[in-house]
Amino acid sequence: MGILLFITVLLIAACGLIYELIAGTLASYLLGDSVLQFSTIIGCYLFAMGIGSALSRYIDRGLAYRFVWIELLLGVVGGFSSALLFLAFAYTQGFQLLMYALVIVIGILVGLEIPLLMRIIRGRYDFRDVVAHVLTFDYLGALGASLLFPVLLVPYLGLVRSAMLFGIVNVAVALWGTFLFANQLAKAQALRILCCVVLCGLVIGMAQAKRITTAAEDNIYADDIIFARDTRYQHIVLTRFKDDIRLFLNSHLQFSSRDEYRYHEALIHPGLSAIPAPRRVLVLGGGDGLAVREILKYPQIESITLVDLDPEMTRLFSTHPMLTALNQKSFSASRVHIINADAFPWVDSDTESFDFIVIDFPDPTNYSLGKLYTTTFYKAAARHLSAQGLMVVQSTSPMFARDSYWCIAETIKQAGLQTYPYHVYVPSFGEWGFVIAGHREYEPPTSLPAGLRFVDAKNLPALFQFPPDMAPLPMVPNRLDDQVLVRLYDQDWKDISH
Amino acid sequence: MTVSRRGFMQSASAALVGLSLKSDPPIAGSFVNDSFQLGHQLRDHASFPSPKQILKTPVVIVGGGIAGLSAAWWLQKKGFTDFVLLEMNDQPGGNSRWGENEITAYPWAAHYVPVPGPKAIYVRELFEELAVLRDGQWEDRYLCFAPQERLFLYGRWQEGIEPAIGLSEKDRDQFRRLEERIHQFRATGKFTVPMELGLSDNTGDLDQISFADWLRDQRMDSRILNWYMNYCCRDDYGATTVETSAWAGIQYFASREPEEKGPLTWPEGNGWIVRRLLERVGTFVRTGQMVHRISHTKRGLNVLAGAVGYQAEFVIFAAPTFLAPYLIEGVAPLRDFEYSPWVTANFTLDRLPDSYGGDLTWDNVFMDSPSLGYVDATHQSLRTHVDRTVWTFYWALADGEPSRNRQLLLQRDWSYWKEAILHDLERVHHDIRRCVSRVDVMRMGHAMARPKVGAIFSPERRRLSKPHGRILFANSDLSGFSIFEEAQYRGVKAADSVLRFVGGTHGIA
Repeated sequence: MGILLFITVLLIAACGLIYELIAGTLASYLLGDSVLQFSTIIGCYLFAMGIGSALSRYIDRGLAYRFVWIELLLGVVGGFSSALLFLAFAYTQGFQLLMYALVIVIGILVGLEIPLLMRIIRGRYDFRDVVAHVLTFDYLGALGASLLFPVLLVPYLGLVRSAMLFGIVNVAVALWGTFLFANQLAKAQALRILCCVVLCGLVIGMAQAKRITTAAEDNIYADDIIFARDTRYQHIVLTRFKDDIRLFLNSHLQFSSRDEYRYHEALIHPGLSAIPAPRRVLVLGGGDGLAVREILKYPQIESITLVDLDPEMTRLFSTHPMLTALNQKSFSASRVHIINADAFPWVDSDTESFDFIVIDFPDPTNYSLGKLYTTTFYKAAARHLSAQGLMVVQSTSPMFARDSYWCIAETIKQAGLQTYPYHVYVPSFGEWGFVIAGHREYEPPTSLPAGLRFVDAKNLPALFQFPPDMAPLPMVPNRLDDQVLVRLYDQDWKDISH
Repeated sequence: MTVSRRGFMQSASAALVGLSLKSDPPIAGSFVNDSFQLGHQLRDHASFPSPKQILKTPVVIVGGGIAGLSAAWWLQKKGFTDFVLLEMNDQPGGNSRWGENEITAYPWAAHYVPVPGPKAIYVRELFEELAVLRDGQWEDRYLCFAPQERLFLYGRWQEGIEPAIGLSEKDRDQFRRLEERIHQFRATGKFTVPMELGLSDNTGDLDQISFADWLRDQRMDSRILNWYMNYCCRDDYGATTVETSAWAGIQYFASREPEEKGPLTWPEGNGWIVRRLLERVGTFVRTGQMVHRISHTKRGLNVLAGAVGYQAEFVIFAAPTFLAPYLIEGVAPLRDFEYSPWVTANFTLDRLPDSYGGDLTWDNVFMDSPSLGYVDATHQSLRTHVDRTVWTFYWALADGEPSRNRQLLLQRDWSYWKEAILHDLERVHHDIRRCVSRVDVMRMGHAMARPKVGAIFSPERRRLSKPHGRILFANSDLSGFSIFEEAQYRGVKAADSVLRFVGGTHGIA
């Protein structure tokens, strides 16, 4: 009996501290300046506890009854505090007001608990023991809570569910109090029913916590983040704003669903339509399946091999309903073979021949990616190209990174190929450039697959014209032992942003 | 109720201990490739068993490093196949030995060859055979990829190893003057690779003073410049500028074109070349065969290697020359051959450590460190994504007496060297201990020839490097310093000399 009573002290002390920590953490997350948030919240909370203790002297009768009620109230207010604060931040201007109000209410209730409890059990023990044991367990509970909170609760349960869990603890204490102090309670049965109702509410709340946070987060960020994952290779983020889905890899925009058709039609059709009877296609990069979607518009193509580094990327674009709607389930087509491998070693070791090769890598932002834009790489890729085949290379922007664009074109030329640079306008990217290359001469095609929205045969030759501000510049090629491109690219974008 | 005080203290202290157990993951490793035990048997004139088997073999090559393997390569290339190569260690390659784990192959010592100039005709011939040089073009994937090297100084990385940031006007002026002087030396054509081709008595004076003295005579006292010169001498010779002949210090710079491409490098360093050579001459190589006695007989030479004896007409002695007095009957002790002790270590990294900014390069050097930095074995990988790698850490024990440093090598245990190296790396990668899972350490008492004052023009060295009698010396230490091109040149030249005599009697295929 005694030990259980003191465990109760430990539990309610823990609950009180958890609510305070949750308020502090939430405020730090959402408002920043954690020193200010924690200081003011701890201050208000302790002050409110003082108020609670002071108020306890005005309670003369029905101590047990009121104790049970306080626990119930704490369970409700504390338990739902985190969810309420999240929603308040997302939907109202009154986050701070509500937060301090909650902290003060919880503080007062917690301040009432201990004095009441001490008075309830005063008769059973020596006063000296009561004070010593109650305070000991009070502080032990605080220690437990402060260790549990960062180690287990925040990482595994999150703030909303942690608050509800401790709300449940408070209500459980209330329920247990109705049995413990049964002889001092008039309406024990009614209280018990009420406790059970509140318990149910909190359990349901815990189960639905995800929905509450999602609803809140959706309102916090301008665009919904519909997917975010750190894979072994990169950070993938998908956002949605109304009907616009955007893919970011390591924070670089890869496509916007509103205008990606411009990019992908321009990447594929000027080259592929100019090849007589293409049968075999190789795509390097392009794990979003959008280039493959365009290639599948050619029924005569027998096989498409896609080599992309990241299995999570190709899996995502094979399974996520919003994304398979975008790439028209291109990865499920029987003609498509996905290989998850590092492109350069794969190209270097494999010997298959292809009629059309699509090279669609991220921009050369570092020396690792820069390897994929070197004479050595293009020579290795060219060995896979059939005599009548063509290769197309994503070559960054001839407008924003003019030096880089013409450096890539020169590099492909130095690999022994004939080059045909062209560019298109993609609103979310700006002017964007590509290079078609082959062992032979190239003429823009006169007919294209039906149903294209951007590329048409009549306008195609114009894409190969460059106005003066994007006109060719003499450049040295990018080589494995001297990656000029990475430095040029860095400089080009620095020039734009300063 | 009562709270057990002891119980409370126990649980509380357990909780505290649990919280304080934040330790780095354990690091495995050991010494590898130790060979001093074998060498000391020779030094201490241990008794060896008499041979159970005597083989008649016209040519015996002693030593399976680059010099010995190059001699074998040349003999075989010229159609002479009646020879054997005896290597003391289990793995051939000498200073070009390599290792391999599940991540990559990696070097144990020599890890690159500068793009050979026009005079290094045998290196060029070998590289044409190995398709490193094709139609006058160096194969892209063997030229060191960008970014090549970096130096950590003043808390940050700079591109290139020659200090370029934080230089005063005085520093710049001295670097400029040094460059001019080197340019003049280069123009004389007397500093060449191989060194024997250009060596001229006109430059003998430079061999009589130390490089440090020469720099002082040139009024080059910049701390930064002297650090860099010292680094270069430690890197190529394992010696400080004070211990290096000025001739050798100048050779380092004047023997090569300033704007050349390269260097040529491979994941396993020069082990790649050893592998290619072994593909060609591996059948002639006997490993684990320590030659302990070479003596003259009426008709030739007797070579004893453990249980096997060889009756030979010629011996190409490609092992380090300092071993000759211990092995070869009648060779007097040598005075002018000094060697630098080295420690190298291979680090298995399960993830890449923080680096205070800057891309990881091939060669990574830290200013004012006693070490020479480290080389990344996956640098020549074509992959775009590398999350595990092996670093080879180089440390020439250049300061102090070589003999005392050799004592240190023997006395200290593996964890001493591991800790010393980790401390050095921690200066530039604070979290290195959390990334490393294995550190293997190789200690070499006589790693590289040390071109001390007077070594280049030493009559002893010049006498031994001339073909004479039935024993032909071929180790790179006959050049005064240990680099690939010198070893290969001397190996080929020794083989050439042998071929002049044996070609007629044994019939070239």
